[in-house]
Amino acid sequence: MLDLLLQPLSEPFFVRALVAVMLSGTTCACLGAYVVLRRMAFVSTALTHSILPGVVGALLLGFSPYLGALLAALLTAAGAAWLASRKGTSEDSAVGVMLSVMFAAGIALMQQANSWRDFAGLLFGSVVSVGSEDLLVIGVTGVIVLSGLRALHKELELASFDEEYAALLGARPALMRVVLLVLVALGSVACVRLVGALLTTALFVIPAATGVLLGRTVPQVMAWGAGCALLGGVGGLYLSYYAPAVPSGAGIVLCCALPYLAARIFAPRR
Amino acid sequence: MSRAIATLSRHLSDAIFAVLPVIPYAHKEKPGCPGIAVAAKQLTAAARPDGPVAFHDATFEIPCGCRTALIGPNGSGKSTLLRVLAGLTPIRSGQVLIAGEAPRLGRSRIAYLAQRPQLAENFPLKLRRLIQMGTYAHHGWFEECRHGDEAVDLALARLGLTELAERPVHTLSGGQLQRALIARAVVQGAEILLLDEPYAALDQPSREIIDRFLFEEGSAFTVVMATHDPADLGRFDRILEMRDGTVTTRHACSGHDHRHA
Repeated sequence: MLDLLLQPLSEPFFVRALVAVMLSGTTCACLGAYVVLRRMAFVSTALTHSILPGVVGALLLGFSPYLGALLAALLTAAGAAWLASRKGTSEDSAVGVMLSVMFAAGIALMQQANSWRDFAGLLFGSVVSVGSEDLLVIGVTGVIVLSGLRALHKELELASFDEEYAALLGARPALMRVVLLVLVALGSVACVRLVGALLTTALFVIPAATGVLLGRTVPQVMAWGAGCALLGGVGGLYLSYYAPAVPSGAGIVLCCALPYLAARIFAPRR
Repeated sequence: MSRAIATLSRHLSDAIFAVLPVIPYAHKEKPGCPGIAVAAKQLTAAARPDGPVAFHDATFEIPCGCRTALIGPNGSGKSTLLRVLAGLTPIRSGQVLIAGEAPRLGRSRIAYLAQRPQLAENFPLKLRRLIQMGTYAHHGWFEECRHGDEAVDLALARLGLTELAERPVHTLSGGQLQRALIARAVVQGAEILLLDEPYAALDQPSREIIDRFLFEEGSAFTVVMATHDPADLGRFDRILEMRDGTVTTRHACSGHDHRHA
């Protein structure tokens, strides 16, 4: 049994993947607490999907795919905010428009690049290909996101719980929303390598949804969420190591869903 | 193991706050009431920027320490007037001074309680933390909430909430929540309370506690309260009636003025 756990650790790619999944899992779970509590799951889906045109465009133009992904995610957030600022378009439909337009643009660009196979990893994640540059990006974005969440904890909590009171105190709830969107964009860039553009949103939503079932304060929600993400991330990696038919991204998301189900069934009613 | 993680994260977060500068949310106000708490002149406002005018050319005064009832039928503009005073709704024309300044956001001396507060549902928050949010008025960006514990304890006790302090907010009754929001305003250091029908759908104990708090115990609050209850009006020092877009002062402040003379 112990051998089954230790044997993959002798492979450098597996260790890199393990570190990456633990870092980005924790980052996304903490950020996900606000995504879930503020009902921003749909926006976060739009941001993570828009990574596709960002990365493909960056590869075509020849600059860093991470930068491309971040720019595309920020463009999506800004575009949705602009569309929703006019009367007659709800935020929901503005996000829907941006999501589908950006994803379609990504598919069109992939045709330009003329190679679908190279982008399979982008859509579905490929843990095998995590290199030291990826680890650096994941580490740096993780530090930025977690310090941002810590430094602005009381303002983010206040603006999420009682937006009007935040405005009355002068604590700028609209600005806090923008900050959260930027952090979500950063966070999704950090985990696109692991689970792919299509499933990144799961890392925001599933662990944090588990946390909401178990935690009684926002930090507790984050801690339970991070625990769930670590469990699911590590479990998913082992799953796809021993069952190669299961891609790592899918494995991670499926393993994150298990603690959620357990919490859903067994958690005491809050 | 978990203790080591807690200590480490404690040190890390201390480092974050040591590096970042503390920036106040808004510029500070001079304490004390300048005699007249609210002075409106030819005030006109609408609930929404593109909507119809809620009231027009309202001219009235509310002295400091005066408990004022705002009466009138539904849709007469009571809520809009309170939101204008709170700085949440812009004025169309005319002028109004509240505690000597034009209405704006970020004023710790003014507290506003909406008729139906829009709080996030099922938010993981304990009652104590909700009341602590009042102390944020005396904190700033990038500052940990470290002072104000005594004020929170005192406010909990005064509004009969001490035993509920650790309860999750979403398990509280409407009356308990209303008391908590008033406690938060007290902790914030508010001197002028703008209350939009605070008694709507309250249980009797909560109503009595809030009543005692606002109208007895030598409280020095200036209260502007929208109300529907005609039985209530005897306790107020001044009554402003809103009808057909106009505001009329029905009953002038008398007994309480001496406290601030």
